[in-house]
Amino acid sequence: MKVIRKMWMIFILIAFLGVGYAQQKVKPIVIGAPLSTAFLYGWAPERAMKLAVEEINEEGGVNIGGEKRPLRLEVIDTRDLEPGVPVSEALLAVEKLILEKKVDFLVGGPVRSEAALASMDLVSKYGKIQIITTGCLTPLLHKRIEENYEKYKYTFRNTSHAGVMSQDFMTVMENLKNQYGLKKIMVMVQDVEHARKGGEIIAKMARERGFEVLDIKIYPTGTTDYSVGLNEAKNKGAQILFLWMDMPESAILLKQWAEMKVKALPMGFVCAAEQPGFYKATGGKGEYLIVHVVNGGNVPADITPWTMKFVKAYEKKWGLEPEGYGTSSSYMAVYQLKAAIEKAGTLETGKVIKALEELDLMGVYGRMRFDKRSHQIIPSHDPKEGAVPCIFQWQGERRVQVFPESVARGKILLPPWMR
Amino acid sequence: MYVLIYGLINSFILSLLSLGFALVYSIARLPNFAHGAIYVATGYVGWFLFNRLLLPFPVAMFLALLFSALTGALIYRIVLIKVRGMTLSEVIASYAIGIAILEILRWGGLRGMTFMLPVLIPGSVEILGVSIDYQRLIIVGLSAGLLLFLYLFTHHTKIGLSFRAIAQDERASLMLGIDSDKAALLSLSMGSAFCGLAALFILPLGNIVVEAGYSTLIFALAVCVVGGLGSTAGVVAASFILGFTQTLTEKLISSHFQMVVALLAIIGILILRPSGLFGKQKELEERV
Repeated sequence: MKVIRKMWMIFILIAFLGVGYAQQKVKPIVIGAPLSTAFLYGWAPERAMKLAVEEINEEGGVNIGGEKRPLRLEVIDTRDLEPGVPVSEALLAVEKLILEKKVDFLVGGPVRSEAALASMDLVSKYGKIQIITTGCLTPLLHKRIEENYEKYKYTFRNTSHAGVMSQDFMTVMENLKNQYGLKKIMVMVQDVEHARKGGEIIAKMARERGFEVLDIKIYPTGTTDYSVGLNEAKNKGAQILFLWMDMPESAILLKQWAEMKVKALPMGFVCAAEQPGFYKATGGKGEYLIVHVVNGGNVPADITPWTMKFVKAYEKKWGLEPEGYGTSSSYMAVYQLKAAIEKAGTLETGKVIKALEELDLMGVYGRMRFDKRSHQIIPSHDPKEGAVPCIFQWQGERRVQVFPESVARGKILLPPWMR
Repeated sequence: MYVLIYGLINSFILSLLSLGFALVYSIARLPNFAHGAIYVATGYVGWFLFNRLLLPFPVAMFLALLFSALTGALIYRIVLIKVRGMTLSEVIASYAIGIAILEILRWGGLRGMTFMLPVLIPGSVEILGVSIDYQRLIIVGLSAGLLLFLYLFTHHTKIGLSFRAIAQDERASLMLGIDSDKAALLSLSMGSAFCGLAALFILPLGNIVVEAGYSTLIFALAVCVVGGLGSTAGVVAASFILGFTQTLTEKLISSHFQMVVALLAIIGILILRPSGLFGKQKELEERV
C-alpha cells in the first residue's frame, strides 16, 4: 500500500514539474517600453503598462491561434527628457531594446518629439511596430507617416497631438468669452520647440477669432521669476493667461500669479500641474488653473464604462489616481496590441500592422481607431465616435474634467479676485 | 518701477545662491561643484522631515541646515582633502559628488514636481504699486543680513580672521599656526550651510526638482565668474549686474533673451577681464 502511495506521489510530482516546464516553454510576447523614467511622462506610462500587462496575464495572456501567450514588459530609460541629453541616447536605448532584449513590439516613447521622430527611421529599419503613447505631440509625426506610408507604416500614435489640442483650447476660450467676457490673452510659453509652436498657433487662432493677443512671452527653460510678465499682464488688463510649459519652474509662475492676484485665468499645457499632488504641494496656489492632459482617462471621468474601472485599478495598484498625460494612452496601447495580435493570429509585422489599422476598440477614452493612412488616433468629442481629449480645472483638491462638455464633470470657475 | 524692485529682488536671490560657492573658493581655493546638489539635497531633506516625519517646521529647517553643513564638511574630509591643490581633480571630484548626490535623490524618490516647501509668510504686499510676495522680501532681508554677518564674522572673530589670513596667503598663515585643513573644512561646511539656507528660503518660491541642482550651479558660477572668483564684493556687484540685466532684458527686449544676455555678460567679462570685476587671481598676467 505504502509503495503504491509513494508511486502516486512521485507521479503527481512529475506531472507538476512537467506542467511547470511546459508553461516555461510558452514564449512570452515581449513589449519594449523606451521611456524617460525619471519624469512624469515616463514613469506614469510605465506604471500604466505594468497594470495592463498584469491584467492581461491574469486573464491568461494573448490568444494567438488558440495558444495563450503571456506578455512581458522590458522598460528602458531613454533619458530624453533630461536636460542636455542628445537624441542619439534615446535612439541607442530603442536599438538596445530591439537588438539585445529582442522585443516584439515597442510601446511608449521616446518621449521628446525630436527623439520620437528620429526613432521612426530606426523602427522602420528593423521592421518593428511602435505605438507612441506619451510625450510626442508634434503633428509632424503622423504627417510623415501619411507622406511616406511604406517607410513609416510601423509607427502608430494613440495619443492626440498639438493640432487637436489647439482646437480644444480655442473652444474653451470661446466658451470663456461667451460666458464671462474674457477676450484679452497674454501668451506665456517655454523656449522649446513644441511650446513655442503651440503658443504661436494659439495666438494666431485667437486673433482670427476676435481675441486680443496682448503679447507672446517666451521664457528660457529654468526661468525662476515671471514677475515682469505677470505685472505686464496685470497692467495691460489680460483676462486669460495662456501657458505652454513642461519645465518644473512653471510652478513658480503659478505661485506668483496667485500671490499677485492677477485678474487673468491661467490655462494651457502645464506639466507641473498635472499630478494629483499638485494642489496640496502648492498650498492651493494652483487652484483654478485649467490644464490639458491630452487624453481622457488621465483624470477621473465618465467617458466609457472602462474609464473609472481603469482609474480605480490604477489607484488600487499605485495608490493614486492616474497621474497625467501618457497614463491612459499607454495602458490602452497594450490592450490595442493584444486585440490586434489576436485578430492577426500571428506576431508577423505586416499582419499586425493591418490588424491595428482595422482595429475598432471601445477603450478608456472612447472609441479607438487609427487613421489608416497616418496611423494617428481619430479624435472626437463624442466617445462613441473617437478618442476623447481631457481638459480639467483644479477645483479645490480635485481635478475636475471641464472639457469636452459631453463628458465634463463640472463647469469652469473663476478665482474670487476675478468674480 | 517693477523693473527696479524686481531687479533688486532678483539680484539678492542671485547673491544668496552664490555666496556659499564664493566663500569656499575665496578661503579654501576649492571650486565646490557639488554646490547645486547640496542646494537640492537640503531642500529635499527639509521637505522629508516636515512632510514625512511630520517634524515642526522650524525643527525640520534647522536639521536640514545642519545636514547641509555636515555634508560640506564630509565632502572635504573624505574626498577633497585628498585632491586639494590639484584644480582639475578638485573640479572633477566635486562635480562627480554633486552628480552622485542628485542621482541618489532621484533614485530615492525625488521625481516629479510636487515636492514643495511652504513659504514662511504667505501673501503679498503692494510697494509703490508693485505686488511683491512676503517670501521674496524675506529673501532680500536674509541676503543682506548674511552679507553683513559675513563681513562682521571675517573682520571681528578669530575664525573669520584666520579665514581671511588663509585667503590672503596660505603659506604665511601656516607659519602663524593657522591650520589650513581645518580652515578649509570649516569654510566648506559654512559655504554649504549658506547654500542650504538659500535652498530653504528660495525653494518655497517654486518646487524641489533635481534639475535645480544644475541651474543653481550655473547661476553661482556665472555670478562668481563675473564678480571674480573669491571676492565677496564681486559676488554682490555681479549679482546686481546679472539680476538687473535679466530683468531689464525682459522688460526692454524680450523674456526670450534673458539667459542669452546673462551668458553674453559672462563671455564679455572673460574676454575683457578674465579674473572678473573684483578678482585678483590673474591680475598680474592681465596687466602684462
